Amino acid sequence: MATAIDNKSAEIVAKYRILFDLKEQQLNGQKSHPLQAIRQQAIERLESMGFPARKDEDYKYTYVTKIAKQSFSEGTGSIIGENVVKAASFGDMDAFQLVFVNGVLNQELSNFDNQMDGLTISDLKTAYDNADTQALVENALTNELGLNAFVALNTALSHGGTFIHVSKGTAVDKPIHLTNITVSGGSAIMTSPQILVVAEESSEVSVIETYSAINDGTYFTNALSRIMVGKNAHVHHYKLQNESLAAFQINNTIAIQERDSTYSSYVLDLGGKTVRNNLSSHLQSSGTNTNLYGVYLAKGDQHIDNQSFIDHAHPHCESNELYKGIIDDKGRGVFNGKVNVRQDAQKTNAFQQNSSLVLSNTAQMDSKPQLEIFADDVKCSHGATIGQMDETSIYYLRTRGMNLEQARSMLQFAFVAEVLENFQLESVKEKALAMMKEKLG
Amino acid sequence: MLKIKDLKVSVEGKEILRGINLDIKPGEIHAIMGPNGSGKSTLSHVLAGKDEYEVDSGSIEFCGEDLLDMEIDERAIAGIFLAFQYPVEIPGVSNANFLKSMVNSVRKARGEEEMNAMEMLKYLRAKTKLVELDQALLKRSLNEGFSGGEKKRNEMLQMAVLEPKLGILDETDSGLDIDALRIVANAVNQLRTKDRSFLIVTHYQRLLDYIVPDYVHVLYNGQIVKTGDKNLALELEKRGYDWIKEEVDGVSA
Repeated sequence: MATAIDNKSAEIVAKYRILFDLKEQQLNGQKSHPLQAIRQQAIERLESMGFPARKDEDYKYTYVTKIAKQSFSEGTGSIIGENVVKAASFGDMDAFQLVFVNGVLNQELSNFDNQMDGLTISDLKTAYDNADTQALVENALTNELGLNAFVALNTALSHGGTFIHVSKGTAVDKPIHLTNITVSGGSAIMTSPQILVVAEESSEVSVIETYSAINDGTYFTNALSRIMVGKNAHVHHYKLQNESLAAFQINNTIAIQERDSTYSSYVLDLGGKTVRNNLSSHLQSSGTNTNLYGVYLAKGDQHIDNQSFIDHAHPHCESNELYKGIIDDKGRGVFNGKVNVRQDAQKTNAFQQNSSLVLSNTAQMDSKPQLEIFADDVKCSHGATIGQMDETSIYYLRTRGMNLEQARSMLQFAFVAEVLENFQLESVKEKALAMMKEKLG
Repeated sequence: MLKIKDLKVSVEGKEILRGINLDIKPGEIHAIMGPNGSGKSTLSHVLAGKDEYEVDSGSIEFCGEDLLDMEIDERAIAGIFLAFQYPVEIPGVSNANFLKSMVNSVRKARGEEEMNAMEMLKYLRAKTKLVELDQALLKRSLNEGFSGGEKKRNEMLQMAVLEPKLGILDETDSGLDIDALRIVANAVNQLRTKDRSFLIVTHYQRLLDYIVPDYVHVLYNGQIVKTGDKNLALELEKRGYDWIKEEVDGVSA
């Protein structure tokens, strides 16, 4: 079925096969567990499809294979202080917190006991071993395995993982915070955070992923989130990414939305040397709402690439996408937003906007809004702007006594703060604003 | 306070101001009137320090200092305030935060103590009353979606909180209804002290019914061609600008 992959790609894949085999050897008795069969399926899938080639249109601006080509070892837990966890948290916001250090769950630093009725948080193996959720986990993990090489790679190498299940009609009263902290600086490690959120009919939950690091070393985070939003359910999904400036992150998020559901994604990308986000929402029925909000700030030689895809296949669905960012120094930003409105998707409302400020001669932004409409009774709009700071606004602020630096940072901050206004959780918004302020200087 | 001597200014090689002389003493109100394109706005922005204007010759002295040697923000800190004809909308910056950071950065630069949150609140509330501005507008983004009158009152609010030595109103009255005009005039009259001066640039005499100027200057073709008292404004209102143009250009209609 798959055409043979080229030698270069095969060589890279072979490195990950070694990592896979190493992990398998350590499994002992767990080798025969059905989850291992899924991982096996995933590595084989990767072997047959290979990593994206440079000529691949979807990877034109971000040659991710360059990341995969490097050598990484498996992350193992490390000892970190509570203060590190505190710094990565949201003030005194109460949350179910799972702390992952180098990709490994640290029970002591975590606090997700005494879960409420209707909420289950566990690892994926526990979820699989539970007869009630076994089919769910199996289907979810094998779904879209071939979406891209990194989905397969994550599935092949991820152990543990996080399963969040919200029962019908349950509104989870505290956000669930997955705190990923990497201790970098030693040999480059790789982590494969894997999340499966299942929100059953008419439930509501907020899930927050944060990524931060100790030290400014090189490592590779290959994250995968699957969010199943049931009928009339609402999932708020936050990602605050502040990896080390020498780190790589590839993040695949796949949302699957049932009838009348709402999926809202809030993304802040501040860290990382090369960051690639693939965010897609698959609409299974009508009446859905999809909100994608994103902010990216690239300085130095950072490269941040946001790809999104919303597939409107049914009538009466709404999608709303706003991404804004600032690119400075030799930074590079990429935005590629695809919105499909198929012939049957009448009465679709689809709005998409991407705006960037490019602050230096060596900074670069590529924005590609792609709206394809095959239905005739829809309201759709999209826009992309790439510009510099407005001189008149700077002048205005300076006549009020602000110096050039103050005026510039106030305007930059204001430019992206508009997106953060949409963040529903006040504590997350405040924290995101503070992180941004620190980065903008 | 402000001494302008033989000021010549051009924009992209085109001469706009062709030898302005003006002397404003503490506590005085000067009005500058003139037909469109006479250079009124250019004069306002040259005083504020806008970059695109080229000063070809002449000098501006402000409170004994060389104004032309100062950065835009240094001028604001020294006590020059320009109310814009077209205030800039800045989405994402709340009006209240803007006022607070403006007041404190200027106070800091002037060597005064910064205000704490409580003092600031009281201070802003009092000043907001002065310009009869709805408190709700403080929470909104700076000038975004404000009506014309609200924008101009917001300019007056900024002037009131910055307490400048010289307030310049660049056609603040243009397009205002009579109520908003009264509020603007009232703000100026209340801020008027024996040390604080104003330069009121306007196209219409109407504002001067409410703010009584000490001097009225007519700017035409980049030069002040006539100076008088408030009666000159009334005469301009009655007769228009054509008689001035004729006098200056030396041609009869």
